[in-house]
Amino acid sequence: MPRNLRLLILALGALAAAAVSAEAGGSLLIKNGTLLTVTQGVIVKGDVLVIDGIIRKIGPSLDAPPGVPVVDASGKFVLPGIIDSHTHIALDGTNEGSEAITPEADVGRVVNADDVAILTALSGGVTMAHTMHGSANPIGGPNVVLKMKWGRSSEELVVRQAWKTLKFALGENVKQSSRTIQIGGPPPRYPQTRMGTNAIIRREFLRAKDYMAGWERYEKLRTSKNPPPTLVPPRKDLRLEVLADVLRGKMVARCHAYVAPETLEFLLLSKELGFKIACFEHAWEAYKIVDELAAAKVGISVFADSWAYKMEAAEGIAYNAAYCAKNGVLVSINSDSGERIRRLFNEAAKTMKYGGLGEDEALALVTINPAIQLGVDKIVGSLEVGKDGDIAVFNEHPMSAYARCDMTIIEGEVYFDRDRLVREREEAAHKAAAGKKGGVR
Amino acid sequence: MTQSLTFRTERRLMRHFRPRLVLALAGAVVASGAVAPGGGEVGPTYALLNLRVVPVSGPILEKGSILVRDGLIEAVGPADKVTVPEDAEVVDGEGLTAYPGLISAHTNLFLEEAARPAQPQSPAAFAAAAAQPSPPDEPGLRIFAQLKPRRASIDGFLKAGITTVLVAPSRGIFQGQSVLLNLNGEDAEAMVVRNPVALHINFTTARGSYPSSLMGTIAYIRQKFHDADHWATAQAVYAKNLKGMKRPAYDPFAEALVPFLRERKPVVFQCNNFEEIKRALLIIDEFKLNGFLTHANEAWRDAEVLKKARLPLLVTLDSRPPRTSQYVNQGEELRKKAEAEIYPANAANLAENGIPFALTTLGLADGPAFLRGVQAAIKAGLSREDALRALTVRPAEYLGLAAQLGSLEAGKIANIVLAKGDLFDEKTQIVQVFVDGVPTKF
Repeated sequence: MPRNLRLLILALGALAAAAVSAEAGGSLLIKNGTLLTVTQGVIVKGDVLVIDGIIRKIGPSLDAPPGVPVVDASGKFVLPGIIDSHTHIALDGTNEGSEAITPEADVGRVVNADDVAILTALSGGVTMAHTMHGSANPIGGPNVVLKMKWGRSSEELVVRQAWKTLKFALGENVKQSSRTIQIGGPPPRYPQTRMGTNAIIRREFLRAKDYMAGWERYEKLRTSKNPPPTLVPPRKDLRLEVLADVLRGKMVARCHAYVAPETLEFLLLSKELGFKIACFEHAWEAYKIVDELAAAKVGISVFADSWAYKMEAAEGIAYNAAYCAKNGVLVSINSDSGERIRRLFNEAAKTMKYGGLGEDEALALVTINPAIQLGVDKIVGSLEVGKDGDIAVFNEHPMSAYARCDMTIIEGEVYFDRDRLVREREEAAHKAAAGKKGGVR
Repeated sequence: MTQSLTFRTERRLMRHFRPRLVLALAGAVVASGAVAPGGGEVGPTYALLNLRVVPVSGPILEKGSILVRDGLIEAVGPADKVTVPEDAEVVDGEGLTAYPGLISAHTNLFLEEAARPAQPQSPAAFAAAAAQPSPPDEPGLRIFAQLKPRRASIDGFLKAGITTVLVAPSRGIFQGQSVLLNLNGEDAEAMVVRNPVALHINFTTARGSYPSSLMGTIAYIRQKFHDADHWATAQAVYAKNLKGMKRPAYDPFAEALVPFLRERKPVVFQCNNFEEIKRALLIIDEFKLNGFLTHANEAWRDAEVLKKARLPLLVTLDSRPPRTSQYVNQGEELRKKAEAEIYPANAANLAENGIPFALTTLGLADGPAFLRGVQAAIKAGLSREDALRALTVRPAEYLGLAAQLGSLEAGKIANIVLAKGDLFDEKTQIVQVFVDGVPTKF
């Protein structure tokens, strides 16, 4: 790094304070906090030892091995890093909305590690986010799961153990119902109705089946004793390759759906065609079909209480999340936003008021539940020995209205330290002011 | 002979040039009627004497001579080793240093951009517009056909020491194929050194049609290469089974891509930020392309990536931070600081890490902007030697023109810059430039 660059970064610490915070090689000991393990209850006054990025010990009175720094969490709450099951941060672009079917448009190819929303997320204790293709078309693109390693390269953010997910969308966004039709404007895109949406998704899957059959026929001939001399492989179609992977079970569907009938229709489609739905997004009317969702073992990822912002959300209710959670549906609360992502714990806490979930149940909506929905519950989502050292330290219980995240740790490295950030910003501002007077540069 | 020539020249110069240039130019012949050799015409012969010679490919000669005959360098050597032929017009280079002509391995010179089509006014017009690929993607396009060389912009580059430019198309994703020109006049055909040179790809998007997003663009690029591969395979099978096999449907897009996919012809990816460097590398690796990276003014962000990649790097001297940069969206003060302090250090950072590169003028308006750019890069730590190599032998090697261009050696094209002082000093004046062996009037 050129020297003048380093100086500049110091002088403008806003974006760099966290970038240089990776320290101690991913090992640290958090002492004397109230541990909210999520899966194994609450430990009042406990320690968590992270070595080389992995939680190695949880318990009272642990000693730090030589060289391992200690974080004093006295009077604080220690919880697994918060996970956002549905957002669109850290991307160069959100929607390939030009066509109805674009599963080839992979957001994993356009991760933008410079997005300051990563730092915003860290400030709210978020350590992982499922960052998704938008909902402009019935079949969007593959999504990607990222850890919020602010300052690291885009490749280092990607969580490769997570399920590969493909974005689907139903309803108003897809049928472009909020679009103003201009006289002489561009012609409307098919589909313009919910039935059209279901039909086009089905049609594309059937095309993918034909495509798979074409390749099978080719492989059979190619490996036969006397392959015909005119044998040409089928055209490789990136669009259908992705849908084929969904049909093969290598990818799972994440489907943006608002109203009950379209949600049920998509469930039927998945049964007919044999693909797996991991989760419905937003699912404002999930409470109407909770038995069907529970029976199908399909989760939902929802907002807490911001319903009725458009027609198809009119019958949303704030009790949706708690009611579904109590009736056997795997529920997560998502941000869908680079701003709300910093207060997901507040959002989750609303389910205590609306529906009466307990503190642990509410906390699960932004920790272990989204981990299960993303297929990463073996490595994150709770404080357990053997899991990644992804940890948030709060001043209060995270379900308290007074809660504030003070420190966010990923794989044993501190990526957000509120005290230090405030201090460094003050110093940087001081230095910058001095620089203007011709002093320190 | 020499005396009378010099005298004649001085008189001519008195008429055409500012008087203070006269001494420097004493002896430099502005040959009337001399044209770039090309159409079989024999170009003039010059003897450039008493010069400091920086051949780049070899040690500096403090007192050297260069013979130029018919567009080529006939001889370079110490003054006492080079015999001046009878028919040569002598240029007295006392106080001057000779450099090989500089090469900018990526420009968008001489292109007249078509105006954006007007917004369609009827549904029918919309449908027609939507049917048009936008941006106009034509991998088979040879930009040579669209060149409109202009004296003014040629002179601006010559005055900055640039004698050779790669001109690439500038619109679309698959932008088309570039041409390499010597700046020897306004006659496009006489200027061509090689055509086509490379296919150029840019990570841009269409407006309102597919692909409208960067991820769509990446998928689109990959699909087009897959299609070309498929088409080439089908063609090969068909060639062996002309009887009894239905002919594969003709696909001009795929046909244009095949040489780049199958014959390793160079494919230049424009990387406007660091992420785009990595995105391009993935595609280059996937299709085993002979990939070049251009623009790349954020290459400084991670030297390791480029160390591993080991491919031709065409780095612009344009030090404006890309739109995606963190330094851009936090106020004008920070943006300016980054432009002045961080981005000019890009080349120095690459050199420090032992990563070879060529420097280009992509995105720079003119010759003076190029000189400011290279001076800023040197000020930020790039050695003059590295800067010179990055503008001569390195681009020549990348473009497969090492035998013809890039250094002052016998047999190479006579692109020669005569400067009063070190080429990249702020006060240095470039007083004479030979392109294809012909001195050019300023």
